[in-house]
Amino acid sequence: MAKIIACYKWVADEADLRINADMSVDLSKAKGKISDYDKNAIEAAVQVAKGTGDTAVTLTFGSGKAKQSLKDALSRGPAEGFWINSGSAEKADGAASSKVLAAAIKEMGDYKLILCAEGASDTFARQVGPGIAARLDIPCVSSATGFEVNGNTVTVSRKLEDCVEVVAADLPVVVCVLPEINQPPIPGLKAVLDAGKKPTRELRLEDLGLSETDLAAKTELQGFEAYVMNRKNVILSGDSAADKVKELVANLKKEGII
Amino acid sequence: MGEEDKFDAIVIGAGPAGLACAIVLARAGKTVLVIERGDTPGAKNVTGGRIYTYALDMVDEGLLAEAALERIVTHEQIMILDGDRSINIDYHDPSFNNEDKSPQSYTILRAVFDQWLAGKAEEMGAMVACGIKVDGLIQNGEKVVGVVAGEDEMFADIVIAADGVNSLIAQEAGLIKDIQAHMVGVGIKEVIELPPTTIEARFNLNEDEGAARMILGCTEGIHGGGFLYTNKESISLGCVFMPQEILQHGKQVHDIFQELKMHPSIYPLIQDGETVEYSAHLVSEAGYRGIPGKLYKEGLLLVGDSAGLVINTGYSIRGIDLALLSGAAAAKAIIAETDPIKVGPAYLAELEKTLLMPAMKSTDGYHDVLEIPRIYSNYPQLAIGVMQTLYTVDGQIPKSIKKQIMAVVKDSGLSAWQLLKDGLKGVGSI
Ligand SMILES: Cc1cc2nc3c(=O)[nH]c(=O)nc-3n(C[C@H](O)[C@H](O)[C@H](O)COP(=O)(O)OP(=O)(O)OC[C@H]3O[C@@H](n4cnc5c(N)ncnc54)[C@H](O)[C@@H]3O)c2cc1C
Repeated sequence: MAKIIACYKWVADEADLRINADMSVDLSKAKGKISDYDKNAIEAAVQVAKGTGDTAVTLTFGSGKAKQSLKDALSRGPAEGFWINSGSAEKADGAASSKVLAAAIKEMGDYKLILCAEGASDTFARQVGPGIAARLDIPCVSSATGFEVNGNTVTVSRKLEDCVEVVAADLPVVVCVLPEINQPPIPGLKAVLDAGKKPTRELRLEDLGLSETDLAAKTELQGFEAYVMNRKNVILSGDSAADKVKELVANLKKEGII
Repeated sequence: MGEEDKFDAIVIGAGPAGLACAIVLARAGKTVLVIERGDTPGAKNVTGGRIYTYALDMVDEGLLAEAALERIVTHEQIMILDGDRSINIDYHDPSFNNEDKSPQSYTILRAVFDQWLAGKAEEMGAMVACGIKVDGLIQNGEKVVGVVAGEDEMFADIVIAADGVNSLIAQEAGLIKDIQAHMVGVGIKEVIELPPTTIEARFNLNEDEGAARMILGCTEGIHGGGFLYTNKESISLGCVFMPQEILQHGKQVHDIFQELKMHPSIYPLIQDGETVEYSAHLVSEAGYRGIPGKLYKEGLLLVGDSAGLVINTGYSIRGIDLALLSGAAAAKAIIAETDPIKVGPAYLAELEKTLLMPAMKSTDGYHDVLEIPRIYSNYPQLAIGVMQTLYTVDGQIPKSIKKQIMAVVKDSGLSAWQLLKDGLKGVGSI
């Protein structure tokens, strides 16, 4: 039984973000959650493992705060939860995160498939999946809306601008999934209770032969502020529906939208 | 059913009642599962809020010292509004925050408090499963043996319904009927953030101290009232209304509440604050006579709001402390009695022993006073009218105070007979 690893990120819940008067963003009141799209990756891992008889596990790189994510992740079906505990996760960019995750995946060993979301719900930088694949020197297939494992190969449907591409690759492979790949169910009572009994493993950077300096981010966050979307507040004044439609079309043309 | 699916006790609802019960049971070594439909404990819970602290230490010694609370209430206030005028009575009692003894009451934010209390229950060994709604009971004949949540069934020797006011579980068990509109109020509330120093300045408070205010005359004559509590970094402001009367009144609850916020005596208190939470909830209003005829059946106990345990005197409301006490009382009965038939009666005996039932009984008459419709319009008008007369100096020859006041009484539309009747009712019931 090989491992099917779903990676997820513990992010701030955007519903709790507060915008200050000077447009700066206050994260201090925000609760954490598993990045929404990562729930799709976890569900995909659980489903494929059922078919292949392999073991679905989760992996996250996060600070102490991410510990509380393990139970939530495991209530979604995987058999074991791995957590690389390091405060440096708070500042990590895609390069640093994929470096740590790849090192952990090597340490965990015996992996067949690695599932990531296309991007995290906070930054959506789309770096981590490809970064892991590069570091493990295995293929990466992104924008997946469906996939199937047959023996030693995976066949993936990729959603492109205006067509669907189907590609096949030999395992192990990193697959980055889009949200439409599945609908993760809300965990039931037994699943939540079982999650508390499942094994979890905490990894430290030292265990992976890494140090904080190895994780220096390649990009630096310079600023983070809210923006105001100005509405045009145009009210269509035409008498009949037909007039209003005409006016709307004229306005949209004027704005260069159509 | 395997060992895995069976607990000594299942508690439905992670409010103060359910969590107090879980803490006492788990401390005694019982296996306890608490099931909460909110994503986190307290996520859906609304209170005014203040908590009377004596109840915390009755649940577990030392609990008060650690509790996640806001400000110690040292200012008890009653505000009367009529039009844009107001009277505010401020009873300041520094002894409520005396170093030698525990403060009498604290303001409280339930999202914070409930989560902390759930953490305590987990520390004691209880399991708290959030984000899961109990859909119903599993009954074996007349005996409750477990609960159903989604596709899962879970069994226990005893189930505790701590699911709050209008308990669907108690209804399913046949212990209460569907909600009756005159037994409940609809509460709406906003939490408005302000810096601590601003709150202290506006309410004339020492650091860590707070004010609790009941507001009369802000409901357009509808049976109900407003409340205001100062938290560390926010103000809880809200209103409670009788649902039937709102329907007849025609105005939206939200609009009446908006007018309260804009009242010239309220607005300066919340000015520049940011509303960070808006919520609505039912509150039990019937007091002692609202308690269901039976608080248990074999395999099931009702605690807290699901048992109607709220005391509303008009100048204060007590639900959280009674929820904590009743939860603990249920747990003690479960621990003491091994015979399932005897657990229910033992629970009632505990409720008497902790003085919860006697307290509810003795405040029963308040309900009659609060039923008087004039309390919500004529009397506030009268009080304000008296003040206005006393404080009006216009260079004319002042009339005798008695004459002036009689004129105000006349203006308020109250007859001497009504005054006498309400007065007697008031004296008779308190
Ligand atoms: C506007 C307002 C102001 C108030 N002010 C005060 C005050 O200042 N001081 C005071 O002491 N009391 C006050 N009260 C009363 C007090 O809030 C309640 O008495 C108290 O919360 C009761 O606690 P409880 O544990 O019984 O119920 P709740 O606190 O209501 O908890 C019930 C829990 O059960 C959960 N639940 C319900 N159904 C299910 C289900 N089917 N499955 C799983 N979980 C479920 C709910 O999500 C909730 O967490 C006020 C109430 C209101 C509405």
